[in-house]
Amino acid sequence: MSIRRQELSSKQLALILLLPSILIILCVVIGPLVFAFYLSFFKAEPIIGGISTKFIGISNYIYYFLKDPLFWSAVRVTTYFTVVSLVIELILGISMALVLNKSFIGRSFVRSIILLPWALPTVVNARMWEWIYAGSSFGALNGLMKVLHIFPADYDKVWLGFDVPLQNIPLIGNFMEWVGASTALNMIILADTWKVTPLVTLLVLAALQTFPDSLYEAAGIDGASSWSQFWNITLPLLRPVLLVVLVLRTMELFRVFDIIYILMQYSIRVVGVYTFETGMKFLNFGRGSALSFLVGLFILGIALIYVRVLYSEET
Amino acid sequence: MGIRKARMKKYISRIILYVLVVLIVVWTLAPFTWLFISGLFPYKELISDRTTSWFPENPTLKNFQAMFDMSSHIGQRFMAALRNSLIISGSVTIICLIFGTLAAYALARLKFPFKNNIVMSLISIRMIPTVALVIPFFIIIRTFDYYLIQANSNFHFYDTKINLIILYVTFILGFVIWIMRGFFLTIPTELEEAARIDGCTRTQALIKIVLPLSAPGLVATGIFTFLLAWDEFVLAMVFTKTTNSITIPVYIAALGSQYIHAFDQIAASGFVASLPPIILALIFQKFLIKGLTAGSTKG
Repeated sequence: MSIRRQELSSKQLALILLLPSILIILCVVIGPLVFAFYLSFFKAEPIIGGISTKFIGISNYIYYFLKDPLFWSAVRVTTYFTVVSLVIELILGISMALVLNKSFIGRSFVRSIILLPWALPTVVNARMWEWIYAGSSFGALNGLMKVLHIFPADYDKVWLGFDVPLQNIPLIGNFMEWVGASTALNMIILADTWKVTPLVTLLVLAALQTFPDSLYEAAGIDGASSWSQFWNITLPLLRPVLLVVLVLRTMELFRVFDIIYILMQYSIRVVGVYTFETGMKFLNFGRGSALSFLVGLFILGIALIYVRVLYSEET
Repeated sequence: MGIRKARMKKYISRIILYVLVVLIVVWTLAPFTWLFISGLFPYKELISDRTTSWFPENPTLKNFQAMFDMSSHIGQRFMAALRNSLIISGSVTIICLIFGTLAAYALARLKFPFKNNIVMSLISIRMIPTVALVIPFFIIIRTFDYYLIQANSNFHFYDTKINLIILYVTFILGFVIWIMRGFFLTIPTELEEAARIDGCTRTQALIKIVLPLSAPGLVATGIFTFLLAWDEFVLAMVFTKTTNSITIPVYIAALGSQYIHAFDQIAASGFVASLPPIILALIFQKFLIKGLTAGSTKG
């Protein structure tokens, strides 16, 4: 009798504790999402006091998959942004973590300042790099290039420009043009990487600190070089945290909007920017919703992989 | 000879290590330091050749003063944005912590049906891009406001702080529940069970045992929430217009457009706007690192 009462109160308590959160999420997230899904089957435009809708079935989806070249170019440019950023973030993040894991004077100081870029608001980061990249003689990067004699004294590069790097090399140049990897996009990748790498570094560093020293001592006695130690001991042990970073970052990178919109408005159309342009600039709510849904589905797919990874690491 | 060689090798590897450390420090600090220095330039010097002018010849605090001068247009807008951002981020943090902690406790400790499904959907919700939610939000809020105006109501959603607080709470709440659940799972259940055998109710055990133990988690989660709310841009851009509700990101984004760039103002206000999150992050960094690890790796 008392056990049954206990169970009942546990369920009731759970309901009471969860109810406010679930209600908030249901009303303000799930509701609008369902609404957006519904809208994606309509041609929807704003009118006074609401919207006008006309049912058109799956035409919006067909439009994106078959008729709209901009959609596929958005997918390409977003994929380029995601993959290149990820590779740089991982290499830079792991390298920095390996350095910071060594003992040196001032280690705790360096470890604390490393958080600074991560804490910087995205908008400030965007505007800060825009100022560094300024395409005239007062831009800091142009100044630096001239001081280092990489650029001649009278040359100023437009860093946020639409020229494609490596354009003259056959194949590679064609590929870069095909994905839309302009100089501007590459410089934005650099700016975004600067902000996010500390997160990767800190996560990897936290994992590195849990490794027992005895592993490396044994390898050292066996005469393994530091490179083979890294390759055969460190990297396999880092696998769980790297998987988490990989999936988390893929999701965040694929939905990128802020930094690209702030610096380039609609001229670099990653899927986030393209969605926003369709829905909020051209007020084409139906198509915009369909596009949101495609992006959402893709990200949900990665999220499911993420959950799988977490659960498999736990058991 | 062999010993000398080994010593030499160790010496060189120390030098390489310190060079790498210096590189990391420069890479991390240089851009932000440049932003601060740029804020000290008078505008005329700011727009001059960088090969010679890296430091202001006549450093000035004018750019920083202008932001806090309530008699000027810049000052009014910046102070309003700062106030709105503080109010919005603060409220969002408090609301998320209260509701999120309760829900996280239930998900970490209690047994009930559909528990795993709820956990899974919470993570998925955190992953939905805000851009995907903007369109339905926009239509719903626009329609609400239309009928509120028709009914001669003084209250409306567009361009209010309340509107942003509601929207932010929802997309951050799932994240808060997720991280707090991770923290609760690290606290051994034995402590609670002991307290309950001693006659505490569940609620008492939660307040007296679990919450104090998870204080570091609460601090870390609170700061994350604050940073996320402080940083949000898309919703703020769409749903704010006047000093009534504009936030810091909207203010700074508006300083630059395709044609006008007030880099002196951008530098100064960007620096000041970054101070609250940076100071919070540096003070509480130990908690944050724990939270980052718990939030992203603990299921």
